[in-house]
Amino acid sequence: MRAFDFVSAESADQAVSLLSEHGPNVIVLAGGTDILVDLKHAKHDPDVVVDITRADDLKGIEVNDEGLRMGALVTHTEIMDDPYIQENFPALVHAAHTIGAVQTRNLGTLGGNLVTCVPSMDSGPALMALEAEVTVAGPDGTRRMDLEEFFVGPRKTVLEHNEVLLDVIIPKRNLGKPTDFLKFGLRKGQALALVNAASALWVGEGNTFKDVKISLGAVAPTVIRAPAAEDFLEGREITPENMAEAGRLAVEDAKPIDDFRASASYRRDLIAVLTKRTLDNAYRLAQND
Amino acid sequence: MTDVTLTINGEERSASVPPETSLLRLLRDEFYLTGSKLGCDVGDCGACTVIVDGMPVNACLMLAGQVDGRDVVTIEGLATLEDLHPIQKAFEEFASLQCGFCGPGVIISAKGLLDRNPDPTKEEIKDALSGNLCRCTGYTKMIEAVQDAARILRGEKEAA
Amino acid sequence: MTDDVKVADKTDSLTDLKETDEDLRLPSVVEPAHFPVETIDTEARHQTPAVGQRATRPDGRLHGLGQTKYIDDITFPNMLFAKMKRAGISSALIKSIDTSEAEAMPGVAAVLTGKEIPVNSYGPSYQDQPVLADERVFHAGDPVAAVAAVTEQIAEEACERIKVEYEPLEPVYDPVEAMKDEIKVHPPHSNIYATKRIKKGDLEKGFAEADHIFEGVYSTQMIEHVPLEPHASIAQWDPNGRVTLWSSLGRITLGRADIARTLDMPINKIRIVGTIVGGNFGGKNEITTEPALALLSRKTGRPVKMVYTREEEFIASTTRHPFIMEYKTGVTDDGMITARKVRLVLDGGAYCSWSETTLGKACILSAGPYNIENLLAEAYCMYTNKTMTGAMRGFGAPQVCFAYESQMDEIAHKLGIDPLELRMKNAFHEGSASPTGQVLQSVVVKDSLEKAAERFGWKEDGQ
Ligand SMILES: Cc1cc2nc3c(=O)[nH]c(=O)nc-3n(C[C@H](O)[C@H](O)[C@H](O)COP(=O)(O)OP(=O)(O)OC[C@H]3O[C@@H](n4cnc5c(N)ncnc54)[C@H](O)[C@@H]3O)c2cc1C
Repeated sequence: MRAFDFVSAESADQAVSLLSEHGPNVIVLAGGTDILVDLKHAKHDPDVVVDITRADDLKGIEVNDEGLRMGALVTHTEIMDDPYIQENFPALVHAAHTIGAVQTRNLGTLGGNLVTCVPSMDSGPALMALEAEVTVAGPDGTRRMDLEEFFVGPRKTVLEHNEVLLDVIIPKRNLGKPTDFLKFGLRKGQALALVNAASALWVGEGNTFKDVKISLGAVAPTVIRAPAAEDFLEGREITPENMAEAGRLAVEDAKPIDDFRASASYRRDLIAVLTKRTLDNAYRLAQND
Repeated sequence: MTDVTLTINGEERSASVPPETSLLRLLRDEFYLTGSKLGCDVGDCGACTVIVDGMPVNACLMLAGQVDGRDVVTIEGLATLEDLHPIQKAFEEFASLQCGFCGPGVIISAKGLLDRNPDPTKEEIKDALSGNLCRCTGYTKMIEAVQDAARILRGEKEAA
Repeated sequence: MTDDVKVADKTDSLTDLKETDEDLRLPSVVEPAHFPVETIDTEARHQTPAVGQRATRPDGRLHGLGQTKYIDDITFPNMLFAKMKRAGISSALIKSIDTSEAEAMPGVAAVLTGKEIPVNSYGPSYQDQPVLADERVFHAGDPVAAVAAVTEQIAEEACERIKVEYEPLEPVYDPVEAMKDEIKVHPPHSNIYATKRIKKGDLEKGFAEADHIFEGVYSTQMIEHVPLEPHASIAQWDPNGRVTLWSSLGRITLGRADIARTLDMPINKIRIVGTIVGGNFGGKNEITTEPALALLSRKTGRPVKMVYTREEEFIASTTRHPFIMEYKTGVTDDGMITARKVRLVLDGGAYCSWSETTLGKACILSAGPYNIENLLAEAYCMYTNKTMTGAMRGFGAPQVCFAYESQMDEIAHKLGIDPLELRMKNAFHEGSASPTGQVLQSVVVKDSLEKAAERFGWKEDGQ
């Protein structure tokens, strides 16, 4: 690693002022599981690294008036261990569980995963299907936006150098919404997704799809929604055929590429299958409620 | 320079190191605790696994400054002068290690598991060891050793 | 490889192919020798009481305690750390190397280039690899300079400040393409640097006897050993002119001779301490950085350590050969193999390393564990501008196994014969002769096939 200075922030505010003071060539350090790898490979050469792991206001999982709030510093292990999430959002537990291995999940944070913003991130799809919002703190206060707006492109979010991600909120209307997440990697552990997908739905009158949200990862420059598939399902009867058709339509919504992990055509097959299965699993969850 | 004071294996230690020093380098180069190994330096292999505040982590992915004031357990902290830790004993008895390079990391991961879950299933053991790569032995004997150590730690079996 | 008849012609006409075994005619089954076949009890567990026993390792306790000292766990007072500047270009002439900026950096103790190495070449079979490339780059992982500094970080930054001017050359990556010798990796030498040919029986007659001919091309990829412990060594040159090397090297005697050659000094002045190896798998069977470290230690009067990064493990250590394997097999209606013709093309990368050994073993084993009266197996090892390939668990055996077993499955499928049955019909038995005429003893291929089939329920599950 190249030489840099290291400072520690005790709060989000302090992090913002340290970033402003030392910027623009500064970098936020949370769990370090993405950024330390980049620093070692000299992909970044910051003057100053601002450690935020001691900022307590970025931690914690709670249900408040707005919905379920998860601080940016919540680790993947904390998500897996949280009783409320276990009870209400098994998809989030499962998504967290697929990330790296125990050591990575103990260090790696939800915020870090979203800010790194690789298309294959495993936290993205389930949160996007649940219409999660994020809060960003900067020198001029905070702003709130949909997760979709937060993602700009591969490895790029809306964050300025002197802004931090504060938290992620699943809106109240979606608390307990039946959701499923599936990841297809080449191994069970330590493997990035070739494709991952999530579906969230309510069951409407006459056993129909209601408020279906489908989200896909590793098939476009950022995690995306699958609007064609969602529109098709809305109000239709819940049948295996309709789920399969949604899978086919989801392929149209995506722009998968060939890379060293998989070919685009393999990814297209995966999209159809994973979409169908997540819909099916989410529906099963709804029935068990 | 970054000044750090932390507890390592129950002992308070201090050092002043360049800010870009990883926890792994701190342990190995400053405190000569060479049991934690550098295998990949990017969190894939798990040979550097140590326990920080009760959680197994990759020492190569933390900066020294991040562990100031925290509690670290390394492989050197498991055995006493009198006795091996039951996991170490089981790994020896089951011949779970060949070249041994991955061993300290694997044993620390196993300790991290058994500290939290004294009676893990085979699947849970596999999951707990999935961040530790072994290129010689394979994992079967390791899993058997962890199961055996768990029995001893639960008091269901006498230590050999 | 269907349209390269030209290539085949060319290689056929190679004069350096050994044709001395042309008349070798070996029957595929020979009378078993009387001794010691009869005295061997093929029930493995009767042979030695060790089989089936649990064994512990004498070094297991230290491993588990974290007390085993691998190279990187060894430190000497005043020790320096070395890094190498890698070419990053796969084929080029080196016009100039400017190390002045690196040398001027605080903390840099010495910089070494290829010109300073007494005999700048090494290798366990052919000495075709430069310790530090000085005139020409043969693959992107070639080191062009080495730096010793007080920290690894400084050594690394110093490497970045070394300026190398290259004249890029057209590289060749495809081993089949390389056979044409249009682009030579090590001019003036041919890219075909090792060959082997095994003949047995009468190939034409064998194919004439066949009811079906099967042809297929199979290929395998390059594989890195990925030992968890990267390559590492420490050198200490003492004022008496002797050098001690601590190394993760698996073959220290061979390595010692290679180092003596590069340093142009008597072997008795070189001492190698082989430390506990953190995984080898064939990848640590030759020297790598040792001569450069020795010279850096001589320049500085201080011990010098170098540990490969994981990236260097992939680009600058040996790997498993990718193979391209052409198989032509004649089979009768009832599944008896009458003839087999095999051509293996091994991608040897930039240097020989253990390619010759791999080539030999692969060629001998390429027909599979089957009685084949009429056989021709040819193997060619090619230079390409890629990371060198060398020894790795099995020395070429896994690659050919993939090819011949794939073809056996294709044959079984096409002829509608049970794949197990097809193998049972053709497999070696006690006293079978290998393609090179070795009479085989303790042959348990059929027994193990049958046992395995029984254990995983082959018969019940069908195919
Ligand atoms: C071995 C290994 C396996 C992995 N496997 C997976 C996997 O299967 N799936 C997957 O999705 N990911 C995987 N990852 C990637 C990584 O673990 C996750 O993305 C992790 O969640 C990143 O979080 P972190 O806290 O470690 O981020 P850091 O590395 O600390 O930071 C990542 C980026 O986010 C910025 N950042 C972090 N927090 C904030 C904040 N609050 N505000 C502003 N900026 C911030 C940092 O500046 C940096 O740019 C793996 C990583 C490793 C090393």
